[in-house]
Amino acid sequence: MAYPVSLKKLVDVLCRFPGIGQKTAQRLAFYLLGCSREDVIAIARAMVEAKDRLTFCVICGSLAEAESCSYCSDPGRDQSLLCVVQEPRDVLVLERTGQYRGLYHVLHGALSPLDGIGPEELKLDQLVRRVEDKNVGEVIVATNPNVEGDATAAYIAMLLKPLASRVTRIAFGLPVGGDIEYADDLTLSRSLEGRREI
Amino acid sequence: MFYIDNLLIKGFRNYRQQQLQFHPHLNILIGDNAQGKTNLLESIYYLSVTRSFRTNHDQELTHWEEQSLYLKGTFIKNGFNHVVQISYLQNGRFKLTINNDPVNRYDHLQQFPVVVFSPDDLQIVREGPSIRRRFINLEASRLSPKYFKELRAYQRVLLQRNHLLKDKQNRRQINVLLEPWDQSLIALGSNIIRYRVEVISDLEKEAQLFFNLMTNSRETLSLSYLSTVNYCDDLLEIPKNFHSALMTKRDQEFNRGSTAIGPHLDDFKILINGYDARRFSSQGQKRTAALALKMAEVYLFKRQNHEGPIILLDDVFSEFDINRKIHLLDFLRDNSGQCFISTAVDLNNLIESLNREHKIFSIRQGCASDEIVRSSS
Repeated sequence: MAYPVSLKKLVDVLCRFPGIGQKTAQRLAFYLLGCSREDVIAIARAMVEAKDRLTFCVICGSLAEAESCSYCSDPGRDQSLLCVVQEPRDVLVLERTGQYRGLYHVLHGALSPLDGIGPEELKLDQLVRRVEDKNVGEVIVATNPNVEGDATAAYIAMLLKPLASRVTRIAFGLPVGGDIEYADDLTLSRSLEGRREI
Repeated sequence: MFYIDNLLIKGFRNYRQQQLQFHPHLNILIGDNAQGKTNLLESIYYLSVTRSFRTNHDQELTHWEEQSLYLKGTFIKNGFNHVVQISYLQNGRFKLTINNDPVNRYDHLQQFPVVVFSPDDLQIVREGPSIRRRFINLEASRLSPKYFKELRAYQRVLLQRNHLLKDKQNRRQINVLLEPWDQSLIALGSNIIRYRVEVISDLEKEAQLFFNLMTNSRETLSLSYLSTVNYCDDLLEIPKNFHSALMTKRDQEFNRGSTAIGPHLDDFKILINGYDARRFSSQGQKRTAALALKMAEVYLFKRQNHEGPIILLDDVFSEFDINRKIHLLDFLRDNSGQCFISTAVDLNNLIESLNREHKIFSIRQGCASDEIVRSSS
C-alpha cells in the first residue's frame, strides 16, 4: 500500500526516534491523526519549548532551564559530595532515589577510543577544577558497569585520587526485591566480590 | 536421560523440509557422500549451540533456493519437553525460542549440550594457535557463562586499547590514556587465563583416560597451557606479571599498533608421548588426540550436568583402524547419552556387535527415511 505523502513524511520522522520502528511509527502517526488539532499543536509546542528552554548547566553539565541547574543552585545540598555520571538522564534516575543529597557532575559520555572519545571529549577538566576549587570530600563515580564505564571510572580515579580525600564507585549487585536465582552469573559473582559484613 | 526426540528442518542446507523422529540412544545416518548426513548433524548442533561447527556465516546455512531457515526440535531433559525453535532470515534476523518464550542466544548456550566430532577437528591438533583458542573459548563458554561474558568484555577492551595504540596523534600522553584500559585488560585477561588453565587441566585428565583406552595404554597424551603471561604455576601471580609484561612490550605494541600480551595470543600444546603432536605425530595419532579432546569434553559436560551430552560423530569410523573403532564403540556404549553416527561405509558388523536397539536413517539428496533395528537379544 502506498502512503499518502504527508503520512509517509510523518512516519519517516517518527522512525528517527530511538527504539521506534516502522510499525510503532505508524501507530503513533495514526494516534496523532486521531487527536484534535489543538492537541497536536500542544504536543509540537512542548517539543519546541523543551528544545528551546533546556540547556546544560555550566557547572555540572546536567539539564537546566537557567545558567545553573536546580541542584547546583540549591544551597541545601551537600557541597562536599560529588557524584559523577555519564549522561544527564542518569541524574534524573539518581534523583528518583530521593536518597542522594550531594551535587552532580555529568561527563556527557564515556571513554571510547573506537568512537573517538578521549578525555578531552568528556567534561573531565571541569571535574578536576571543581574538585580542586571546592572543598569536595568524596567523589562517587557512577559510570555504567560496562567496559567503557569501567575504563572511565579507572581514569577518573587516577585523576582525582591525589585531589579528593575519597574516590568511590557505586556498588554492583543484585536488584532489590528480586530473587537470587534469577540473577545472572556475572552480576552474582560481582556481588560476592563486593559483599560486606552485617 | 537427556536426548533430542524429534526435529523439523526447513530450508537448512540441502534440506527443503524434513521431519525426523530420533532414537533416544543410537542413531546411524547412512548415505553416499554429499547427500546431507553432515548437514543433519549440523542442524542438531545449531539447535544447541546456535552456531555451526563448519562455518561462522549463518547465511551459508540457508537452502540455496530459500530465504530463511527454520528448525524446531524437542529436547527431553529430566522428563520434560523443551521445544527449541530457531528461525533465521537471510537479512540477518535471528530468532530463538524455548517453549515459545524468546531466549537470549547466549543464555541458551549451556542448556542442551551437544558435542560434535568431525574430520575438521583434526585442525585442533594440526593447525595454528587460533584454532585451539577458538576451541578452548567455545568449550569454556559452554561450561561457564561468566567466562563467556568476560571474554566478550575482554575482546571489547582489546579493540579499544588497540585503537589507542594505532592512534599516532596521542603519542605524548599515551601512557596516561592507556592506563585505564590496561587495568581492565589485566583484570579480565587474568580471569580468562585462570579459567582456561583450569579447563585445560580438567580436559587433560579426561583426554588421557580416553587416549589410553584407544591406544591400549601404549601412548600418552598431555596438554599444557602456553601463556604470553609468565606465571610459573602460581595463578595468583598472573595480574602482577601481566602488568610487568605489558610494560616491557610497550614499544613493540606502539610499532605494531596492537596488544602484544594476553589470552588472545595464548595457545595450548598437545603432547603425545611427550612430543609436540603438531609436529611429531602421525595422522592417526593426531586424529585420536583430537577425538580424545572431544570425548573429554563429553566427560566435563557430564560432570557439570550429571547427564551426558548428545554426541555427534561425523564420518569418524572410516578413518580409524579396527581396534580403535571397537574401543570407540565401547566408549559410546558405556556413555549413557544419545549418539548420532554418520557414515558412508557399511558399519553393519560393528553395530551388530553392540547388540543394541537403534535407528538407521538412509539419507539421499536431502531426504531421510528411517527404520528401527531391534537388538537380537
